[in-house]
Amino acid sequence: MPKFVRQAGWILALLLSIAARASAPDEYQVEAVFLLHFTQFVEWPVQASDAQTPFVIGVLGRDPFGSALDDAVRGETVKGRPLVVKRFAVAGDLKPCQILFIDRSAVSEADQVIGSLAHSGTLTVSNVEVPAPADVIIRFLNEDRRIRLRINVDYARNAGLTISSKLLRPAQVVGTIPAG
Amino acid sequence: MNTTAPAIRGQLIKMVLITSSAVLLLTVTSLFVYDFLTFRQNSVQQLDTLGRAIAANATAALAFDNADDARNVLTAFEVEPHIAQAALYKMSGARFAAYSSHAATGEIPTRLKPEATGFHFEHSSLVGVLPVTEGSRRLGTLYVQSDLRAIYDRIRLYAGIVALVVCASGLLAYALSRRLQHRISSPILALAQMANAISTRQDYSVRAAAAGVFELDQLTEAFNHMVGAIQTSEARLRVQLGHLSLLQHITSAIGERQDLHSINQVVVTTLERSMPIEFGCIARYDATSRLLTVASLGVASQSCGAQLGLLPGAEIVLDENGLATCLEGQLVYEPDSGQVPLPLLQRLAALNLKSVVMAPLVAEKTLFGVLIAARREANAYTSPDCEFLKQLSEHVALAARQAELNSALQTAYDDLRRSQQTTVQQERLRALGQIASGIAHDINNAISPVSLYTESLLEREPNLSERARSYLTTIQRAIGDVAGTVARMREFYRQREPQLSLSRIDLNVTVQQALQLTHARWSDLPQQKGVMIEVKTELAPLPAEVMVAEGEMRDALTNLIFNAVDAMPEGGTLTVRTRRVKPEADAAERVHVEVGDTGVGMDEATQRRCLEPFFTTKGERGSGLGLAMVYGMISRHSAELQLESTPGRGSLFRLVFAAAAGVAPAAEAEPVIFERRPLRILLVDDDPLLIGSLQEVLLADGHDVIVANGGQAGIDTFAEATRSRQPFSIVITDLGMPYVDGRRVAAAVKAAAPATPVVLLTGWGQRLIADGEVPPHVDRVLNKPPRLMELRSALRDLTIPAGPLKAAGGTSR
Repeated sequence: MPKFVRQAGWILALLLSIAARASAPDEYQVEAVFLLHFTQFVEWPVQASDAQTPFVIGVLGRDPFGSALDDAVRGETVKGRPLVVKRFAVAGDLKPCQILFIDRSAVSEADQVIGSLAHSGTLTVSNVEVPAPADVIIRFLNEDRRIRLRINVDYARNAGLTISSKLLRPAQVVGTIPAG
Repeated sequence: MNTTAPAIRGQLIKMVLITSSAVLLLTVTSLFVYDFLTFRQNSVQQLDTLGRAIAANATAALAFDNADDARNVLTAFEVEPHIAQAALYKMSGARFAAYSSHAATGEIPTRLKPEATGFHFEHSSLVGVLPVTEGSRRLGTLYVQSDLRAIYDRIRLYAGIVALVVCASGLLAYALSRRLQHRISSPILALAQMANAISTRQDYSVRAAAAGVFELDQLTEAFNHMVGAIQTSEARLRVQLGHLSLLQHITSAIGERQDLHSINQVVVTTLERSMPIEFGCIARYDATSRLLTVASLGVASQSCGAQLGLLPGAEIVLDENGLATCLEGQLVYEPDSGQVPLPLLQRLAALNLKSVVMAPLVAEKTLFGVLIAARREANAYTSPDCEFLKQLSEHVALAARQAELNSALQTAYDDLRRSQQTTVQQERLRALGQIASGIAHDINNAISPVSLYTESLLEREPNLSERARSYLTTIQRAIGDVAGTVARMREFYRQREPQLSLSRIDLNVTVQQALQLTHARWSDLPQQKGVMIEVKTELAPLPAEVMVAEGEMRDALTNLIFNAVDAMPEGGTLTVRTRRVKPEADAAERVHVEVGDTGVGMDEATQRRCLEPFFTTKGERGSGLGLAMVYGMISRHSAELQLESTPGRGSLFRLVFAAAAGVAPAAEAEPVIFERRPLRILLVDDDPLLIGSLQEVLLADGHDVIVANGGQAGIDTFAEATRSRQPFSIVITDLGMPYVDGRRVAAAVKAAAPATPVVLLTGWGQRLIADGEVPPHVDRVLNKPPRLMELRSALRDLTIPAGPLKAAGGTSR
């Protein structure tokens, strides 16, 4: 390969990396994708109505994602079920959903919501710490601009969810993982 | 032989090695290729499996953007040392996490398009690009680069193993084939050595043993068969060589010989010795009498031949089948004579000669005879033997033909030489005769006056002393003999018998005369050389009268006396004898005249040939005609010539005549004195002596004699006389004269006066008469020297027309 082409290649690669950094996704965009990805690593208990109903990702409180979440789920399905995003401004609006993201604006209601959703098969997710003793099953931790996961396996077990070990390995695990 | 050509051992070993190596290489290579392909496939599968596992583990890291976790996941490759590099890429294509082993070389791509999945081999590595999916969702891409050095290590290992195995198996194959090729190469080598030995020793009786391998046994069998064939043909060749050498030997022996008998002898004897045969004989065939006669018998065959009755000269009975076929020119071979009911074969069989070959001797389609060769054992002749005998018989026949031709040629040559000699002699004689003829003429002319005067003296001089009369008589007789001798000289070259005029002669007288005539030869000449020859004369008491030509008789005796004298160069006794012999009581009386000497004598060969014309023992001195003339004379008189001779003791010639019958007539009448009627005579001759003497004699008789010297002068004189009316009563003319000869004189005379008689005088007179050559116009021919009595008789007869005419030939000398 001629030298100038190679040099040109290098220059192009540098420009692209600068562009990527410039347009680096913000935290919510990443978290939106993460929400979508949870559908692959978590096993929800099977219900008779699953086939007729779409797979719902709910957002409680103010929606921080903007269009990011809608973009992420557009066209996606979970085991044949269409994926939809539903937004609940307050806990009272809450309708059954498989994943529920609790925004920091609704964290006050978190304890109540989490309590109501116990054994409902809903994966609760938040990016802020909910007041104890309640806890979401998965919490996004922002560590040095990197999103990490904190998973409370006890809660997950209570919710009747099976979380893939693949998901557990890179995550910070809370609770006890039953041996065997 | 090409000694650099590879040995069969080496060839076999090489073949085994090449074969086994090829098989091994093929096997190993195919195994290797299979293994290589399988290994690659396995590698791909392995990498796929590994990649999938890692990809499955990496899903969460990718999904939740956890690069540390991703790196951790990739670190799992550490347990696979052949994984050189690995990397995870996001769906955007950006590299997310990377792994490199210690031995890693090269770059990991910073970006990778998600769709470029699959496996591909790069120069020393296998690159796998796998999708990373969780559930149905594609999360990213895994890039794995597996180092293929392991594969190449394995290839090297394999190559080493293959080399080792090939070497080991080659060694093994070599060792085994070296042991095993023995079974194939050793019989072949043995065959080769045997063939070598056979060709060196020329011994074709050996045979190779079977090797126990099918093809080799076939080869051995073929070899043995070939050697057998060579042995047979070699034996046949030897036999033919022997025959050829024998044929050559015999042919050269024949070539050295000329006569048929010795040729035949050498053939049968050589056959006996060298072929060999027990009985050999050659019989000659005579086509005209159709007889087969034994000509030659081998030396060793003599006893057999005697028992068979087949000694040389014996006739062989021609039987129907055997010999008859042979005589037609075909070779007949009877392998067992006892089985053939033919007389000759049965006789041979009786002597235990069983195998019989009868070969015809034929050259140029002529059968010369038959060669018979017999052997004791039956079937003893092979077909080459027969062929040899056939060839030999052709040679013998050819030699026989040659010998025959040679002898015929020799005979023809001898004849030719004899006739050439005879021709030369005759030519010499003819020349001699011509000379003699001229000489005779001159002599006759010369002695004519002597004769005439002697006769005239004896007649007209009664007062002569007794001594003078005796001398004159001897002169007259000698002249007569000279004339006779001259006349006979012609007989040498004349073919026809001379005319005999026989008269009754007392041989006692003739002997005396002959001795008188040859006195000088036996008395004077030897005495000059100091040699003494004693002459004994034993004459019969009674007159030994015979009817002979007196002159010839005298000549014969003269010749015999000359020979006797010549036979006694050292001197000796000459005996001349006459005898009257009456062999038996009632036989005719015979008269013997013998001339003997005590000289050198003659051997048998000389005795046999002494009467041949031109045969002489006297070299250049002798003409070889003396005894031939005697013999001629004896034959003409129907007398007999006997010869007794012993070498060193002397010779005796005996002439046997029949005695003259009856009583001797009265002594010859006294010369008649004719009536002297004077005649006018013309004498024509060119010889003055003759003409002078003749004129004188005729003048003495009272005639009127006119002489003309030469033919033309004679004619002129005769014409002159006729004109002057003084014609001649008679003309006597010589025959041989220059310019105008007697014939023309006679013709002229008869033309002028046909009634005038003409007498021709000639030195060739007798010949003229004998040849019947009396020329026309001549009334009588008289010989020179003329005798007075004849002349008178002629004058009287011719001039008395009424008188009785006597024939001229009736006149005796």
